[in-house]
Amino acid sequence: MIAMDDLRKQFTSGRGRKARTVVAVDGMTLHAQDGAITGLLGPNGAGKTTSLRMLVGLVTPDSGTIHVDGIDMRENAPGVRARLGVLSDARGLYPRLTARENIVYHGRLHGVADEVAQARCEHLARLLEMGALLDRRTDGFSQGERMKTALARALVHDPANIVLDEPTNGLDVVATRALREALRVLRDETGKCIVFSTHIMQEVERLCDRVVLMAHGRHIADGTVASLCEQAGCDDFEDAFVRLAFGTEGQPQ
Amino acid sequence: MSNPIAMWTVFVKELKDALRDRRTLMVVFFTSIAMGPLMLVLLSSLVGKYEKRAEAREIVTIGLDAAPTLRNYLERRTFIVKTAPADWESQLKDSKLGDPVVIVPATFEDDLAHGQAPRIQLVYSSANGRAQSGVGAIERLLQGFGQEQASLRLIARGVAPGVMNVSSVDEHDIADNASRAAELTSMVPMFVMMAVLYGALNAALDTTAGERERGSLEPLLATPAARAALVVGKWGAVFALGLLIAVLSCMSFLPAQSLLRSEQLAALFRFGWVEAAWFIGLLAPLAAALSALMMAIAIRCKTFKEAQANTVVLTLAVTMTPMVSLFNQEGESAWNLWVPALAQSTLMNRVLKNAPISALDVAPGLFICVALTVVALMFVSRQLTRRAAQ
Repeated sequence: MIAMDDLRKQFTSGRGRKARTVVAVDGMTLHAQDGAITGLLGPNGAGKTTSLRMLVGLVTPDSGTIHVDGIDMRENAPGVRARLGVLSDARGLYPRLTARENIVYHGRLHGVADEVAQARCEHLARLLEMGALLDRRTDGFSQGERMKTALARALVHDPANIVLDEPTNGLDVVATRALREALRVLRDETGKCIVFSTHIMQEVERLCDRVVLMAHGRHIADGTVASLCEQAGCDDFEDAFVRLAFGTEGQPQ
Repeated sequence: MSNPIAMWTVFVKELKDALRDRRTLMVVFFTSIAMGPLMLVLLSSLVGKYEKRAEAREIVTIGLDAAPTLRNYLERRTFIVKTAPADWESQLKDSKLGDPVVIVPATFEDDLAHGQAPRIQLVYSSANGRAQSGVGAIERLLQGFGQEQASLRLIARGVAPGVMNVSSVDEHDIADNASRAAELTSMVPMFVMMAVLYGALNAALDTTAGERERGSLEPLLATPAARAALVVGKWGAVFALGLLIAVLSCMSFLPAQSLLRSEQLAALFRFGWVEAAWFIGLLAPLAAALSALMMAIAIRCKTFKEAQANTVVLTLAVTMTPMVSLFNQEGESAWNLWVPALAQSTLMNRVLKNAPISALDVAPGLFICVALTVVALMFVSRQLTRRAAQ
């Protein structure tokens, strides 16, 4: 279970009189339950990536709290990281290592024994249909292959909570479908808590049990797709999103 | 997870990753292993040429036919007299002629007989190193002729030639063989330090700026492994590579000695297992500090290329500092042992000279290197999280 409450973060660039402050996240709240897929939906620049970076501990929030399975981020950041599987915006792999070596390396850093990491790697390869890729060097992998490897790497320690930052970016239809299917399996068969950030409506409609809407760094609304449509008074989810995020005129508030 | 396991995991991964970068490794290996022997061979052939010239006892002349007395003197001194080629002047300028040219005037014998000093010209070009190196020997030879003639004249007048010798000079060269050779081999320490630097450079940049560039730093920091453990593991791999290159390049001098063409240099340049062990021992702390410093510079850079440009300052500094001892004619100063790179090159030169080295001489360099390593690694550790999210 992931609970982020009233997170705030601003960045300052430059020094002295040239200093500029950008408010990236301004009151962000998200609660994600086990056995459910929670979508974090917002336009580009809404603060989704910064929010997820705060969850992982790469960015320290100015205020607000983060709890993962009851563990407070401020008190035990490594404990929080150990319970998270993160597919971040940056999906860099080591090109001179094979997919298997990339995956097992992260398993070892999560404290998983070598044999266990190897076994998990095989299991994930079956789940993500990437068995043929395992012993190839990742140099020259396609976007889809890279995403699968990065996802397997994020899941190698069998985390209770999975965080995915725009996972379908750059993927074709087949790869997107395969990813969606894998996430459903993870939710239904193992009861994981999955948080999924995106700016694509269809993905949210097809996959998410709950949605948190975000715009201008702020939490706008949350609920199921149906309840959000009802709240906005629209039949179409895209219309509902625009109305909730940008107001009735479709203009930023 | 426990820090030692994370450290070891990172160390093994980074080392494996770096060793798989075959193309870069090949270049580093060849330059570090082949350059040493190559340098020695070039140096020895250069020295060999000078030796051969000195042994050859040749003198190139013009108009010597007009001076049988001088010819007689030269031949008595076992010199082989050669006549200068027609275009000797241009040959001398273009360094094609390796000896200075002695021009004897046609009136030589006449002048001598009448007690007038004949003017002999000694022509050389200071831009022609080979010919210039022979000038001193020829000058002494011709002065010898003058002295001989003067002595004969004094004897003929019933004066003892000793009257002319107010004082005499005895030369004593107190340099032993090893220190004389060190004059020629003072480039060797600089060369091995460069090898260490370039050996570690690629890995240092790849584990920091490279990690940022390919976007693998953020996932790495999403693991619960302690930042310090990640940094020390990475540094360990970089250091190990630098040390490996140090060992290889030092060892390459052992078989390379058999390639020395100059017998004198071969006798003088003694680089055995003891010297190799000293070199490696002195290079190890330097390799540690340089690895950490390069990582500290590179972690602030977003791309490998940017990091390469930034580390030029460091590579230049490491190349230039040993030059201080080359340019400094006044010998070593105490502060030399406190400057990284300069301290190591100074001590390595002492090893080559077979001069004594005490623990107190090694301590400053070691202390500075260890301190630099610790400070740089702490900096990298602090920067790691800040830079991952940028």
